[in-house]
Amino acid sequence: MSFFLKVRPLFAVMAIASLFGCANDPAPTEQLKLTEQAVAQATAVGATDDEPDMASAQSKMAQAQADMANKSYKDARMQAEQAELDARLAEARVLTQKSDEQLTQVNTRLERLRKQLGAAQ
Amino acid sequence: MNRIPRVLSVCLMLGSAGLYGCAGHQSSEKALQSASADFQKVKGDTNVLRSAPRDVIRAGELLGRAERLSSYVGSAEDVSHYAYLSSRYSAIAAEHSQLLLNQEKLARLELERQRLQLALREAKLAGAQQQGKWAEDQVISLSTQQSERGLVMTLGDMLFDTGRAELKSSANRTVLKVVQFLQFNPKRVVRIEGYTDSTGDSQENLQLSRDRAQAVADVLSDLGIEDERIQVEGYGDQFPVDVNTSERGRAQNRRVEIVFSDEKGKLSTAR
Repeated sequence: MSFFLKVRPLFAVMAIASLFGCANDPAPTEQLKLTEQAVAQATAVGATDDEPDMASAQSKMAQAQADMANKSYKDARMQAEQAELDARLAEARVLTQKSDEQLTQVNTRLERLRKQLGAAQ
Repeated sequence: MNRIPRVLSVCLMLGSAGLYGCAGHQSSEKALQSASADFQKVKGDTNVLRSAPRDVIRAGELLGRAERLSSYVGSAEDVSHYAYLSSRYSAIAAEHSQLLLNQEKLARLELERQRLQLALREAKLAGAQQQGKWAEDQVISLSTQQSERGLVMTLGDMLFDTGRAELKSSANRTVLKVVQFLQFNPKRVVRIEGYTDSTGDSQENLQLSRDRAQAVADVLSDLGIEDERIQVEGYGDQFPVDVNTSERGRAQNRRVEIVFSDEKGKLSTAR
């Protein structure tokens, strides 16, 4: 019996610690708004679910909204924060990819121009 | 007696929670390492530092947070989280830097393109002047007619070598005229349509007609007409303007037609 008596305060400390963790998290309303904006912006530049980052942003945002409804605010905040950056990365990738395509296009045109100029002279 | 199994089960639960935490700790350690590697990479890249300093700073802050948290027990989830965010910021920084480099390169190439366009126009003009009147009368079948399709200009067969898609230099004058016309009428757009006679494989004819129309479009684009103003169609041996049984008729059918829109930019519908 004395063994259990000794262990008891440890339980108490753990219980308090877990309570503390829960009580400390306010609802991440602002973060969720930021996340929704980031996802909308990525969509606006043409990011789709074919982009792995965009797919992950969408699913994490959905998870964050579900966590929000369940009042698990810490999970909601983490999911929303990750989703925001996933979306911003997807957006950046789409923009870079577009400029890559533009570069290829301009290079083809330049090549054609040089060829024509060579023929004209 | 009754309390012992209960306490035992609580102990078991705690034990499994501890194990779980251990697994979490390993994966968070891994996440921390890769975040740190990502951060070192962008931090050492002067291009990234120049174009996305704020993202690099955020990556560094979040990495520091993850590292501090990793010395506490039971923080594996948070460590993984902040390491993940840090990695993302590093990736975003790298991506932004690439975008900026591409844009700078594009601006340089665009200047080069304008320079070459000017040079090409001058070269073509010089060539057209040398050919003189002869070219206009003989080589260029330059018939422009107003039909239900709008203003249509026909570039005759002799502007291309047989079976080839490249425009001959004898087309310079016509092409320059079209370019000048489009520059004076900036709202007008064109559809360039290629046609062949019915000799040979119809699939090949379709391809050749498309290639010839594209060749004309390329020259216009090279001379400074925006691509958005140029549509290209190939019709192969469809829509002949003459019989395909005589040599003369076939020559008439081999042509490229430039259909101009009205001054508001409205084109007749494609065939």
